[in-house]
Amino acid sequence: MKTSTAPAPSEADAGAEARGSLARRLRETPEVGVVAACVVVFAALAIDRSTFADAVNLQGMGFDLAQYGLIAIGESLVILTGGIDLSVGALLGTSVILMSWFNVRAGLPPVVAVLATLAITGLVGLLHGLAVTRLKMAPFVVTLVTYTVAQGVTLAITSGTSITGIGGLFGDIGQTYVAQIPLPLILFAVVAVAAWFFLERTYVGRQVYAVGGNAEAARLAGIRGDRRVVAMYVTSSLLSGFAGIMVLGRMGVGSASGVGVGWELSAIAAAVIGGVSLVGGQGRIVGIVAGTVLLEFINNGLTILQINSDYTNIVLGCVLALAITADRLRARGIARRG
Amino acid sequence: MDTASDTAVLLTDVTKSYGPVKVLDIPRLELARGQIVAVVGENGAGKSTLMGVLSGTVTPTTGSVEIAGTPLQPGRPDLSRDLGVALVAQEFPLVGQLSVAENLLLGRRPQRAGSRPLGRLVVDRAGIRAEARALLAEIGVTGVDVDRPVENYPVPVRQMIEIAKAWGHRPVVLVLDEPTSSLGPVEAGRVLELAREHTRAGGAVLFIGHRLDEVRAIADRVIVLRSGRPVADLTPAEATEERMIREMVGTDLARADLAPTSSAERTTTLSVRALTAEGLGPVDLRVRAGEIVGVAGLMGSGRSRLLHTVMGAQPRTGGTVEFDGRDFRPRHPADAVEAGIGMVPEDRKAQSLLPAHSVRWNVTLTTLRRISTRGVLRPRTDKEHARRIVKDLGVRLHSQEQPIGDLSGGNQQKAVFGRWLAAGPKLLLLDEPTRGVDVGAKAEIYALIDDAAEQGLAVLVASSELEELLWICHRIVVMAHGRVVADLPRERFGKEAIMTAAAGTRPGASTQGKASA
Repeated sequence: MKTSTAPAPSEADAGAEARGSLARRLRETPEVGVVAACVVVFAALAIDRSTFADAVNLQGMGFDLAQYGLIAIGESLVILTGGIDLSVGALLGTSVILMSWFNVRAGLPPVVAVLATLAITGLVGLLHGLAVTRLKMAPFVVTLVTYTVAQGVTLAITSGTSITGIGGLFGDIGQTYVAQIPLPLILFAVVAVAAWFFLERTYVGRQVYAVGGNAEAARLAGIRGDRRVVAMYVTSSLLSGFAGIMVLGRMGVGSASGVGVGWELSAIAAAVIGGVSLVGGQGRIVGIVAGTVLLEFINNGLTILQINSDYTNIVLGCVLALAITADRLRARGIARRG
Repeated sequence: MDTASDTAVLLTDVTKSYGPVKVLDIPRLELARGQIVAVVGENGAGKSTLMGVLSGTVTPTTGSVEIAGTPLQPGRPDLSRDLGVALVAQEFPLVGQLSVAENLLLGRRPQRAGSRPLGRLVVDRAGIRAEARALLAEIGVTGVDVDRPVENYPVPVRQMIEIAKAWGHRPVVLVLDEPTSSLGPVEAGRVLELAREHTRAGGAVLFIGHRLDEVRAIADRVIVLRSGRPVADLTPAEATEERMIREMVGTDLARADLAPTSSAERTTTLSVRALTAEGLGPVDLRVRAGEIVGVAGLMGSGRSRLLHTVMGAQPRTGGTVEFDGRDFRPRHPADAVEAGIGMVPEDRKAQSLLPAHSVRWNVTLTTLRRISTRGVLRPRTDKEHARRIVKDLGVRLHSQEQPIGDLSGGNQQKAVFGRWLAAGPKLLLLDEPTRGVDVGAKAEIYALIDDAAEQGLAVLVASSELEELLWICHRIVVMAHGRVVADLPRERFGKEAIMTAAAGTRPGASTQGKASA
């Protein structure tokens, strides 16, 4: 009956479109705003401090971007289904330790160590997916358990020390440049393009959006939503493991300190800033990547501007607050029409 | 009868415009005490705006509104309520987590009489409970625990609670917005009775209705709105369904177009034997190709359950289903879709739509796999496919990229039909196919169903609107308590036959029938 406030639908729609087509398009493609913000922030910082845009700093940001970006994509895939994955950061930390442990302590070749670790993270993702779909457990709680246990496992294996003497393969992946571009950044780009293709160009990707948009409608339309949800949790966990390779290679030692913990929040922030709706079903890869880039620009920019790092989180928090407010307003607009 | 004291509501030169668009334009409208005035019109005719103006939620652009002689201050729902306007909305503003009692007395809590000054701040729980129970009893609602949260109760009960809430305000004018659309016949009858009671006590009732038979039965006067204007003011005698429809749509609806074609003897598409599920069965049922079979019954008689169980959306506990000549055991609706079954569920918003997503995404949902090559979806194929569905079904929109939530109910429903017809099913399961759909779109949907059957689809349609079933079906089965209690061919169609069977009192029809007889 809400439509009754409008007269003959065609008239009202035509009028609304003429008046608000730009506003409407902006509201429906929030990615535009994030990309614009990236450009503005980059330009402002580059003009103010020439060091921001020099090669060394850009390469440094490239490495960061790869590790944060990979888990942000995994996180976003889960959020699109209407869930959340709090374990991406902790699991990344654990996979760094597992890989070095398999390689150094168990004496396995680096490739085998990597595969074994990915198998474990994949299995963890499968458990998440099954707990959420079969047992109908809340994603927040399920992944919170992993968040806690993964940190515990990391500490138990290392007892707080580092594992040194890892194979050369890790450095080859984590520290190499291809034509001045960090290899991890290239791998991240490949994953991002693959994720884009999956979401925008495959029917399974579309079904993921459908499940997040309205799980019951998707089910009654004959979509096996549970399988899609499980697949997204597995992918998210696998990407944490994959990002672990980059992190381990970059550090050169298997260390648990300062790795992974809290990164899930950056990943969620990047997704939300990039226009991913926390209720599911809405969000695109362009936005997610732009969200990660924006966070990295701000993070790095604050360092370049020599602002006390104690203030970093305040700034990031404010950016996040802005983004979720925008997300809320958008959702409300949609709900009002729906 | 037009003396000031008899006038409950008076609207003078009331208009409401959104930008250049005038959605309401009422030169003069007077509601007398002791009368039930029905307002009918298609979706978008201005019925909700009119109600909004009365209840103070919509500020009119021009004009004045008087309630029992006192001018209404626009945009103040609280003042409207104090003046004696009570609105029973179609989408209830009940607070789900609050208890039934708290909802009923929301905004006017009783205080402990003669208590200390501080006592005025204390909520008198016992008083609230007692008053809530009295109110429900007055309305005729039984078996509701006033301490339980409202969200624990199904929609029909919540609707009755909503009505009790409005009743509790002892209003001058009771505004009912399609109060019976979510109710079964028995509850609906009780609501109409209440409306009568209210007018007998000197109140006025403004009744917004979709079910024209109901409007005819209840109204002392029928006002037809079209594009925001009153186009007809009819006496009950003048207000035949044909006349109302003609005034609403502005053209004649050719009844002949809608009459079902006789079913040729064809193969059996669906054969259900001793099917049981939670709250269902055992049910035996056959639907032939090209046949439209209606499922009638009261709320909770198992109509939806039957459809859901056939679809594989609800687990089956026993019995067999033969579909298209083969034993059929779906474990997920996906199995049913693959086999060639489509289902338009009851609650469009919750069970059909991806409300925030584009029309294109919504109409291609069931055929995504089919239109992709090795899993890859080509944007051009996708758009072309959606364009064809939208065009075939006559969905009115300005872009297939607009969110489906923007469309009117009728167009949304046509899009949902398009989603399924595109999948080329052999059996269509329809649950309340025209709920929340305006008259024009209803006719179009009936025509779609008719066409589908003519092309050899088997159609099983559950509906709480008897008119609808009598209109489109070749055969109607009546359900009560999860079982089929009657199976009526077209020659034995009749409201009375269906109602008696549905109430479970038909002798020997079922064990429940005997028990209650």
